[in-house]
Amino acid sequence: MGTGFSFGIPGGAVSAGILAAAMVALVALGLRALRAEPRTTRRRVLYALRIATGLGAWAIAVQPRWLTQRFEERDGRLAVLVDASRSMGLPRDGEARQERARALLSRWADSERGGVSVFTFGERLEAADLERLAEEAPARADQSRLGAALAELVAGDDDLGAVVVVSDGADRSGFDPAGLARHGVRVHSVAVAEEGLRDDAIAEVQADAVGFLRRPARVRVVVRSLGGPGGPIPVTLRRDQEVVREVAVEVPANGEAAVEIPFTPERLGRAVYRVSVPRASGDAVPENDERAFLVRVVRDKLRVLLVAGQPSWDQRFLRAFLKRDPATDLISFFILRNTTDLTMAGPDELALIPFPTDELFNEHLGSFDLVIFQNFEYGPYQMASYLPRIREYVLRGGSFAMIGGPLSFHSGGYTDTPIADVLPVELPRRGASRTIAEGAFAPRLAEGMERHPLIELVPDPAQNAAAWGRLAELHGINRVTRVRPGAAVLLEHPSETTDERARHPVLVLGTAGEGRTLAFTTDTSWRWGITTGGLTGDPSAYERFWDRAVRWLSRDPTLEPARLTTDRERYGPGARVVVQGTLRDERYVPYAGEAIELVLLDAAGGEVARTTERLDREGRLEGALSLPDRPGAYRVEARRAGRDSGVAEEWLVVETGGDELADPRADAALLRRLAQATGGEHWARPEDAPALERIDATRRRSQGVDRTAPLSSPWAFVVVVGAFVAEWVLRRRWLGARG
Amino acid sequence: MRAFGVTETAVTIAIGLVLAAVAPRAARALGEATRFQVRAVAYEGGQASPRPNAPRRLGWEVHKRTSVDVLRTPGSSRLDDASIFDHPFLYWSGDAEFDELSQSELAGLRRFVRFGGFVLIDDAAPGTAGFDRSIRRELGRAFPTRRLRELPNTHTVFRSFYLLNRPEGRVRGPDHLEAIQLGDRVAVLYARHDLGGAWARDNLGTWEHPVTPGGDEQRERAIRLGVNIVMYALCLDYKDDQVHAPFIMRRRGGGP
Repeated sequence: MGTGFSFGIPGGAVSAGILAAAMVALVALGLRALRAEPRTTRRRVLYALRIATGLGAWAIAVQPRWLTQRFEERDGRLAVLVDASRSMGLPRDGEARQERARALLSRWADSERGGVSVFTFGERLEAADLERLAEEAPARADQSRLGAALAELVAGDDDLGAVVVVSDGADRSGFDPAGLARHGVRVHSVAVAEEGLRDDAIAEVQADAVGFLRRPARVRVVVRSLGGPGGPIPVTLRRDQEVVREVAVEVPANGEAAVEIPFTPERLGRAVYRVSVPRASGDAVPENDERAFLVRVVRDKLRVLLVAGQPSWDQRFLRAFLKRDPATDLISFFILRNTTDLTMAGPDELALIPFPTDELFNEHLGSFDLVIFQNFEYGPYQMASYLPRIREYVLRGGSFAMIGGPLSFHSGGYTDTPIADVLPVELPRRGASRTIAEGAFAPRLAEGMERHPLIELVPDPAQNAAAWGRLAELHGINRVTRVRPGAAVLLEHPSETTDERARHPVLVLGTAGEGRTLAFTTDTSWRWGITTGGLTGDPSAYERFWDRAVRWLSRDPTLEPARLTTDRERYGPGARVVVQGTLRDERYVPYAGEAIELVLLDAAGGEVARTTERLDREGRLEGALSLPDRPGAYRVEARRAGRDSGVAEEWLVVETGGDELADPRADAALLRRLAQATGGEHWARPEDAPALERIDATRRRSQGVDRTAPLSSPWAFVVVVGAFVAEWVLRRRWLGARG
Repeated sequence: MRAFGVTETAVTIAIGLVLAAVAPRAARALGEATRFQVRAVAYEGGQASPRPNAPRRLGWEVHKRTSVDVLRTPGSSRLDDASIFDHPFLYWSGDAEFDELSQSELAGLRRFVRFGGFVLIDDAAPGTAGFDRSIRRELGRAFPTRRLRELPNTHTVFRSFYLLNRPEGRVRGPDHLEAIQLGDRVAVLYARHDLGGAWARDNLGTWEHPVTPGGDEQRERAIRLGVNIVMYALCLDYKDDQVHAPFIMRRRGGGP
């Protein structure tokens, strides 16, 4: 039965304290007046009455209360919860924790106590069999989630009276044992721990998941040394097998020290880095001598090359948009004059510079993420020899956009050139007539493409169509003959048709090799900005469109139609990886209801594991795969049934030690606190644990709190008034006029 | 140019290639609406078109001297007419005091500028105070938090096509232009040099107004300033890109 104390006055103990101080001062002043009474006995009586009056008045004012909590106790079932995490396999060089646990479980397996349920915990709670655990206690799980397992076990099971935990207590999640007390289930604990573990370890690795190409980055490494003399420990950073840097960190004996190691990513893409310390003599946990981390290396800015054949409003607004974006590094070149133009000035009076074709399209082409030809004809600039390079750039993964105008597409002379090979549209033959169609038009959203982010002004399809209807009309198109197979038409001309009698495309997306391409057959998209703004007050459609177009072209992960994520980035050997994802096709329509194969591949592309999951209506899935024991980088690929290539992928790392063995120390103190907080018993060694029959499984549940306020009675007030009156009468009689 | 590591040799070769290979342009715009047009601002009171041939001549000079595709028939719109958003270059000229703009005209001007339009204001009577007083009054009403400020002669406007040292028009006028900037962009440019007076020619090609004190050379510089202003409106700070810097410094005599 628990007890407590409180004050009924508003403000509680603080108010009571203030009142007490005030009352003491008042009584002290009053006592000085009573010193006039010459007889000691009478003076003491008056003192006593004055003090009793003050004390009583204070007590009535603050209303002290006694709280008494009532509990109900009844017999409950007993559950045994056994730690199955990998830390139970330690130490490697002596009797492992799992062996000591197995010995205890073997003793308990002979128990005749009925109704005992048995579970193991690691990453999650699992039902188990005591006799099998007595034969072989597992130590496979990649996490020690004791708090989560207990919470799951006690929640909603009214018959459970107690849980006895057999563990090393190495739960690093920071759960609060006191939180379990409210369930009334006792948690007894048996510590399976040892003294004097010898271990040098990479305790912690912190690095940004994204690094920038050729920009300095840092990884923070915490090194721990247990059971050794301490001193300098060398730490090595490797990328794949190549040593990037070695540093020494001074680690105190049985302590930790942190060091920051600088490195500079030199290649784009996923990179696996490893940090390691040498294996110490007698190291009981060699698995945690090395940790790995993944870095996705990207450019710090999107590099865009914009080439325009003449100044125009289309070029002006696109440059302004790209230039304003701090995440974009824009290189632009505009043709401001031709030889037919009469500048009426010598070269030194002009601010014009020659077109640096070789620098742009030979030396630096590969440094761009996106190349935009905006109303640009290549012929006058002797660029024919560079066009194959641009095609190769696209095929190898570069992005290319061609925007219309009188110098673009067929009018730019691109028919039968390497550029035509990568465009998502086919161009009229050389010498063809009517290659430009003039006139204002409101583009139509292509059927089935309404969910594509480039043309999704608002999420609701009906409202989206209405929003497009409010945009200013475009003017004129460059004619093409057809859309290439596999390309996606997003916007169509309302009346013009192609040679195949299909609606003429205005905006087409495609792929060529590894690269993405965009064809926009007009030069008036700027009218979605200022002109639409003049009509409606809202010019934002222009920048929203180009923002998404540039992000799509540059493969911004947040704009990809298919995405996978894993619950962690780093795992231990044999761990279970939970994969979630959203899979949509190139039109951003979900593969609703389709069966999807999740395939685990090693770095060389060899298949390691596979499972099949079915997508929901929104194209979402969740699945799990078991990882191999072999450390290294792996990727999970989502494949549509029967396909060899994936629609989305995510990378992860398998480490020898992982988080589970990063801190291998047993934590008997946690287990002791757990038992104390829940009213259970704690046994420091398996050998000390009693037989199952002797373990208390009485469930103790609170039945409420009784409050007693003894001075709330009117009689208390009467007593205080009586003391006051008695003191007053006696003082008048004894002191008389002297008072 | 340092960004690309261009050498003197490469420059020479590139110039040669460009000059040798450029063929006559056979461009045909995707319609008249896509071409650049000078659009004059129409307003009440005063004289809204003191140099009626100036917009057409500016368009003609830009067409003749640069690669800009120009609609050579200039337009005219009130500031509360939605057509100003079809051609985002406005030429606002006058030579006398004019009436206060209506609230809808002020709203149109604010939107035009905020959404990316460019306004060139040309005082055709810089020796008198009427037009100047009205312009400052209306700009103050339209943009109460943004004042006209002196534009340094190192601004991109003075090197967007030609290399110029100072503004000049029919008169030599002040040694600077004034501007209202939105961020880094000059949105309103005010010249008190009667630029239109230097540009204007009649249909027979005769200059309509004498240029003082510099004569034809000053007229040529006034035309070049007009071309630069159009180029700035279309290319913004393109000439501030690093690629242009060494060339411009060298030609101005300040670089290697």
